[in-house]
Amino acid sequence: MVETRSRNGWVIWLSLVLALLLSVAPMPAFLESGRPLWLALFLTYWVLALPHRVGMVAAWLFGLFADVLYGSLLGQNALVLMLTTFFVLTLHQRLRLFPLWQQSLVLLVLFGIPQLVQLWLFALAGNRPPEALQFLYPVLISALLWPWVHTLLRGLRVRLQVN
Amino acid sequence: MGDAVIKPLFVKGPSLGVRLLVLTVLSVSLMVVDARFDTLKPLRSQIGLLATPLYWLADLPTRLWEDMTLSISSRSELLAENEKLKAEALLLQRRLQKLAALTEQNVRLRELLNSAELVDEQVLVSELIGVDPNPFTQRVIIDKGSKDGVSLGMPVLDARGLMGQVVEVMPYSARVLLLTDATHGIPVQVNRNGLRAIANGTGNPGLIELRHVADTADIKEGDLLVSSGLGQRFPAGYPVAIVKEVVRDSGQPFAIVRAEPTAALSRSRYLLLVFSDQRTPEQRATDSAEAQEAADRDAAARQEAAAPTPAVAPAPAAPAATGENRNGRN
Repeated sequence: MVETRSRNGWVIWLSLVLALLLSVAPMPAFLESGRPLWLALFLTYWVLALPHRVGMVAAWLFGLFADVLYGSLLGQNALVLMLTTFFVLTLHQRLRLFPLWQQSLVLLVLFGIPQLVQLWLFALAGNRPPEALQFLYPVLISALLWPWVHTLLRGLRVRLQVN
Repeated sequence: MGDAVIKPLFVKGPSLGVRLLVLTVLSVSLMVVDARFDTLKPLRSQIGLLATPLYWLADLPTRLWEDMTLSISSRSELLAENEKLKAEALLLQRRLQKLAALTEQNVRLRELLNSAELVDEQVLVSELIGVDPNPFTQRVIIDKGSKDGVSLGMPVLDARGLMGQVVEVMPYSARVLLLTDATHGIPVQVNRNGLRAIANGTGNPGLIELRHVADTADIKEGDLLVSSGLGQRFPAGYPVAIVKEVVRDSGQPFAIVRAEPTAALSRSRYLLLVFSDQRTPEQRATDSAEAQEAADRDAAARQEAAAPTPAVAPAPAAPAATGENRNGRN
């Protein structure tokens, strides 16, 4: 409680803002349908590493901001991200012990379920849902990116002693 | 380290399940309120104030790259481009000369027809600063917002045709729904013969579909579709799309008509916002009636002054003139 209370906390929030930025960065049209779920990836890392700093409320608030950014219904991305965080927190003890590739496999499911909810809300809001399994590409790509994101953010956390 | 990890276990607030429940209920109620009522719109546009710099920042690399290529492009390239632009300007000027006369004529004819349709609308130039990251919607963000006078439902065009309409206004930016979004529809008219139809987006960039066109309707490949101005949202007479394919299947109740938007929906960087007529139809009717009365009085005065000759000379030229004017705008 003494000196380790909150050190370099800004790194967490800055990285999450960076994730938001990445999620609206312009991309070539053919890559657009496979855009990684940057915010979910970054949030998952911080929730796994520092569950006492980043939790469901933070995820929900960032989701709310993402909603404004994407112009979706207020609360849509908030719900989805909060759900992802909830799953990560429930499996927290187990996930931390897994090797990276196994974490990727689990994340495939953890990102997949909220993505289905996302699709459902998207259709409910009056949009025409995409054909085939296109909406699951981002999940696959995010799971493949996980080891890199994990290594990168871990390096950052260790170097800056974020706590 | 162990100290820091263990401690939070004891200062934990409500359990995960409780938090899940509370936040879920909160999100769902927010969504319902946002979808059904307007109460959250001001909040949204205020948070949007924070979102604008983020879009600006995300777009920065593209802009820097463009600036850089511009500054290192060779002199000969610039000269060639200059030549090309000069030639283009000359062509446009020629058309403009003709247009001035035609517009004049058109206004006169419209007065005779007792219609007070606007011939020239006010426009505002804006720049694209972002594209919607969701691949299943067709929306873009522009750098003009409510502070510049942008309002909900404003039509947006580029140099080649209609692009869409404003669906969300933030203080310094706005969101534009493109013609090709699956939730967008626009009333159009075949330029060749005036056949009316509704063009719906397909969600596919570069393709729109005409709904409920009879199998026997006179529409064919290559026809230009212009906005018809019905529905009071889009100004009339702007090019919308060119018909690419007409499938007449006798097993289907309607013909399938696919068209390609004339505007460069995925390439244009500079867009025009059109300030349409803010008057209500009643006001417009009153205004036009007053204008007509004034014109009648004028004509009567002139008739009294001069010999009684009818002032309706250019009437036979009317259809040709309007057609020419539309072509001139394309």
